[in-house]
Amino acid sequence: MTFHAPHIDYAGLSPVIALTAGICAVLVGGVFSARRQRLVVSVLSLTTVAVAAGLCIWQWGEREDLVAGALRLDELGLAGALIAILAAAVVIPLSWREPAAERPGSEPRHGEFQALLLSSVLGMVLLAQAQNLVVLFVSLELLSVPLYVLCGSAVRRTQSLESGLKYLIVGSLGSATLLYGLAFIYGGSGSTDFTTIRDAVGSGLTDDPLVLIGIALAATGLAFKISIAPFHQWTPDVYEGAPTPVTAFMAVATKAAAFCVFVRFFEVALGPAVDNWQPALAVLAAVSIVVGNIGALGQSSLKRLLGYSGVAQAGYMLVGIVCASALGVNALVFYLAAYTLMNLAAFAVIVVRERESGYGDGIKAFEGLGRDRPDLAWPLTIAMLALAGLPATAGFMGKLYLIEAAVDADYTWLGVAIAIGTMISLAYYLRVVAAVWMRPAAEPLAPEGAGMPAMAGGSPEADPLPSLAAATAAPRPGTRCLAILVPAWLMAGATIFFGVLPSPLVDWASHAGGALTPFLA
Amino acid sequence: MDVTWYVVLSAVLFAIGAGGVLIRRSPLVILLCLELMLNAGNLALVAFSRAHGNEEGQVFALIVMVVAACEVVVGLGLIVAMFRRRLPLNVDEMRGLRG
Repeated sequence: MTFHAPHIDYAGLSPVIALTAGICAVLVGGVFSARRQRLVVSVLSLTTVAVAAGLCIWQWGEREDLVAGALRLDELGLAGALIAILAAAVVIPLSWREPAAERPGSEPRHGEFQALLLSSVLGMVLLAQAQNLVVLFVSLELLSVPLYVLCGSAVRRTQSLESGLKYLIVGSLGSATLLYGLAFIYGGSGSTDFTTIRDAVGSGLTDDPLVLIGIALAATGLAFKISIAPFHQWTPDVYEGAPTPVTAFMAVATKAAAFCVFVRFFEVALGPAVDNWQPALAVLAAVSIVVGNIGALGQSSLKRLLGYSGVAQAGYMLVGIVCASALGVNALVFYLAAYTLMNLAAFAVIVVRERESGYGDGIKAFEGLGRDRPDLAWPLTIAMLALAGLPATAGFMGKLYLIEAAVDADYTWLGVAIAIGTMISLAYYLRVVAAVWMRPAAEPLAPEGAGMPAMAGGSPEADPLPSLAAATAAPRPGTRCLAILVPAWLMAGATIFFGVLPSPLVDWASHAGGALTPFLA
Repeated sequence: MDVTWYVVLSAVLFAIGAGGVLIRRSPLVILLCLELMLNAGNLALVAFSRAHGNEEGQVFALIVMVVAACEVVVGLGLIVAMFRRRLPLNVDEMRGLRG
């Protein structure tokens, strides 16, 4: 017997390797550059994401199995990876001031913050390419665990800790449910590999009770991650409490990666059982559209509003999976890209306004923005109109594409549900636009300089320092932060560009859908 | 090998864990219940692995143990951070975030 060295395709794995190396470099860079940590670490992480994005583009068009079939290199996985990397590239400048030293004199924490962010991106890249139940579960956790920490990373804010713990509990509940479902699918089919499961399910297991229980539990677990309606209660709370750049990352990148694996798992591994899961997912999508849009109507915090709007948008995107056709997958990938651009533009504006006005992320903070800060008002307006699906924006093209896919797959009623959801959503998106352009600016709040009195037995973590509170609550008016404005404008510009000239993005998305064509009807 | 009883036991464990997450108020007990749910999954994986006669399920179960440990570490870290800020360790009293 001779030993055969396994064939390792380093070219196909190169984005994963680049990200892993980048995480190590960022951590080490954070340790060895105490004084200029922010600059060193940001440059290192931006270089990492740029290299990873370049390698993904280089590998575009390759279709092969990696690491003994554990990963699948194809356009769908690379599309998910590119969206996650784009989100990280925008969030790194957005978090320029976020994880700053919690008190004067203590060590800055950019190294840890960005290393965690990149770990989460690594989880997303792996998840989007996962082709095995084990890889699916491990990469989902690699994506989630750093996010739990990032949500709770503003340890001085009670809300941040609360959101971190809430996300941890709900996220782990989702993971455990998913794991139990995966165990049943393994039990029914006898394999953890997607294509082997497909063959097993296809040869007479479509109505096997083990497989059916597994499908239900796995769909529930994934629905927790992408905040589909009955499992969405954590979303607004966590979005509101987490530091805003983390919310932005969570909102777009998690959805992109989880939807990529959702589509691959259901269309490839469980494709033969399509008649069993299709109606269930259709109902989930409709419920999600209704609940998300109605929930958003009464929100006064913009982050909560975007949380509920994310629930509704997840419902729209689930329609792409329900269709179980190449057109549906194309529409889903297109919408994921459009959703990323629109949401990142909106969150970038929230990051700036949260710092400038005393109203946090409440709608009041955005009143009169059109007159005072047109450079911020325009990206926010474009993002809101695109999320509402107005023509000449990428959001409109995405909805059109999804409705077309739904009608094509004989799910016309879901197309109608998307249209009705869009109409309801105008009410709250336009409320933000009206606040920006039609109201006078709200009186700035006086900074709370006093802070809490020092008390006996006070711990350094618990007592906010008055000087720091005053410094953060009263920034100089009209601060121009190019690091945030430029991404906001780029994202808003891209939203308009792909709304007017959608063909490049449509081509890109149809490559991704094409990767699954052999498995689709 | 008949796996029915192993699967039934794992289903009972999963239900106890899920029930505990939903009704208990202490975050520490909730973490314990989450572990119970993950271990129910492990038991099912190992039982199915034995039934099918391949090792994929056992490998999966081993990896799940590592992941479970990571989750607990992060959860306990967050709980310690809350404890040091003298926040109530009771999930019913975490009402700072609501709209």
